[in-house]
Amino acid sequence: MLMTSGPWVWIAAMLTLAIYSFLYKDNPFYKIAEYIFVGISAGYWAIFLWWNYAYPNLFEPLAKGNYLNIIPIGLGLMMFTQLFRRTAWLVRFPLTFVLGVSLGLQIVAAVEGDMVPQLRGTFSPFSRGVLFGTADFWTSIGYIVLLVGVLSTLIYFFFSKEHKGFLGAGARIGIYFLMIAFGASFGYTVMARISLLFGRLHFLFSDWLHVIK
Amino acid sequence: MRLQIPLTIILVMGIFTLVTSFIPAKPIADVNQMFRNWYIGIITFFIFLGTFNLARSNAEKIKKQGRDWQYSIILLAFLGIMLFFGFYRGRASTEEGQPFMYLYFNVQFPLESTMYSLLAFFVTSASFRAFRARNKEALCLLLAAVVIMLGRVPVGTAIWKGFPTVTEWIMNYPNAAAKRGIRLGIDLGLISMALRMILGIERSYMQ
Amino acid sequence: MGVVERLSRLDRRYIFLAVAIAVTLPIFFPIGLPIEVTAPVKQLYDVIEDLPERAVVLISIDYDPSGAPELQPATLAILRHCFKRNLRVLVLGMWAPGVPLGMKALEEIAENEFHRQYGIDYVNFGYRPGGAIFLINLGRDVHDVCRTDVYGTPVEDLPMMDDVHSASDIALVISMSMGVPGSDQWIWYYHARYRGKLATAQTAIGAPRYYPYLQTGQLIGLIGGMKGAAEYERLVQTRGLATIGMDSQSAAHMLIIGFVILGNFIFWMQKRKR
Repeated sequence: MLMTSGPWVWIAAMLTLAIYSFLYKDNPFYKIAEYIFVGISAGYWAIFLWWNYAYPNLFEPLAKGNYLNIIPIGLGLMMFTQLFRRTAWLVRFPLTFVLGVSLGLQIVAAVEGDMVPQLRGTFSPFSRGVLFGTADFWTSIGYIVLLVGVLSTLIYFFFSKEHKGFLGAGARIGIYFLMIAFGASFGYTVMARISLLFGRLHFLFSDWLHVIK
Repeated sequence: MRLQIPLTIILVMGIFTLVTSFIPAKPIADVNQMFRNWYIGIITFFIFLGTFNLARSNAEKIKKQGRDWQYSIILLAFLGIMLFFGFYRGRASTEEGQPFMYLYFNVQFPLESTMYSLLAFFVTSASFRAFRARNKEALCLLLAAVVIMLGRVPVGTAIWKGFPTVTEWIMNYPNAAAKRGIRLGIDLGLISMALRMILGIERSYMQ
Repeated sequence: MGVVERLSRLDRRYIFLAVAIAVTLPIFFPIGLPIEVTAPVKQLYDVIEDLPERAVVLISIDYDPSGAPELQPATLAILRHCFKRNLRVLVLGMWAPGVPLGMKALEEIAENEFHRQYGIDYVNFGYRPGGAIFLINLGRDVHDVCRTDVYGTPVEDLPMMDDVHSASDIALVISMSMGVPGSDQWIWYYHARYRGKLATAQTAIGAPRYYPYLQTGQLIGLIGGMKGAAEYERLVQTRGLATIGMDSQSAAHMLIIGFVILGNFIFWMQKRKR
């Protein structure tokens, strides 16, 4: 069993209440809980990184004779050189290796995984027979709205030319699309936060106080 | 050496990864796979370094008796406890029924989820104080938010059956349009920044 | 001081109290309003329904405790559906703090409810660092990046993995995600290269960003927040935590809308006075 009852639930409940005490005002209980959280999370990450990856994928194979692993381990250890002023520049070696690999892949991903399919998705409904054909009325209207919205939003973010005339009108329409999207995001944010609060209150009433099933 | 070698590494690795991404042939794909495995290996040390730095800065704070230094003792104590219980039985330390897992479920879990749930209170307070229809654009934002809030909960459907349909349409088209526009802009920015870094024009990360 | 003035200076702690009451009351006095299932959730359900028996579903636990109230019920409901359909499940995650949540979900559903066998019907590879880079390597060679499972068992000793070598052996990927690394990486780095079916369950905050990917077909389904999880619970005919939470969600949303209206009324009155 991963979840427990007894003293552990009491600890969890007290820590929950310590965090909520911040709603009244900042106080030492909240601060204690906050620092415990940082300490425990940092320890947790280090442990899981070690047992789930570093040990089985780097150090164990090295011990078994995979000497090529010296390279990533060596580059990784170089990260610690930044702790000393004289050797701090050595950190540039692992950093540029990591950046080089990730940036190269990022360019490919942005084009292949995002831009091309997204642009295709914007224009493909306008191929023959889709609008008001295979797509129903509201979907067809939606596709037109989608195209206008994407273009006007892009115009809004296009700062190389002054927003006047056609560009000005486009940018104004773009603002409304952005406002709708921000409104949607706000609505969803409310939803998310309330869900979290429900989760904690449900825990307090069921697992701790046992006043509900 | 301090500048030229790192600039060469980023140029070579960036161009190599970019170009060879399109070559699935075995020897090159295998080399790529190896480089990517090295990448993962290196970034694991970033987190170890982060943990070390956290411990170091808090130890210094205690030594200098800086502001709230007493709390740093608590932080270090729990970091130490977690590390101890994470290692004390080898790999089995992180299995079910071990103290490490009890600490996760009964200390880390409640703290983290409660911390974020605080925002439920602040978002409501902000709705009351700052969410004002000062102009047409703000009114548009406000109306969209209200429709979505109603369309995404059962009570909205009880008020008007059409709310979920309207909400879904807003999410699928006007919302998706703006999100797509923003994303395409970000992509263009990412590509240009990546190229600037690979070509050594942007070097601020080295400072 | 008039009523409007007094309301405009309302101590925010009263607002906090109102929120706590709005969320708490339905826990004790549930209303049980019916939950409407939306198209993006139904689409994912249908895809799982249509998968052949013993197909492999990869569930990526890309969340931590702060996302658990929204995503854990979705994970449970999806696992329940997978095992009901006799599918094989491969669990891993790109967020270290999500690992115990994945373990707990498997314990609850695979072990206790469906009595499935570890290593044959399901496996758990735990935390996998590297984000996007890990996903590229995973699609090419699963065994290379998942050498041992979460318990330290070598991948060769897990019979389920005998015929799971690359992306083409995985019928469906579901990314349970609350940030980076998460669904973005699955879409841009994994799906763009290896195709296949990909769906996501998001915390509500992230969900609106993924609608563009639904329209392009890069995602075949989207579960958004606790409401999405409640919809999935309805589809698999269980009453989980998400379903229970829907009444609190309704009450809190109504309260917040009330506060928005009240705030705007005060604003309008003050503007008229000036």
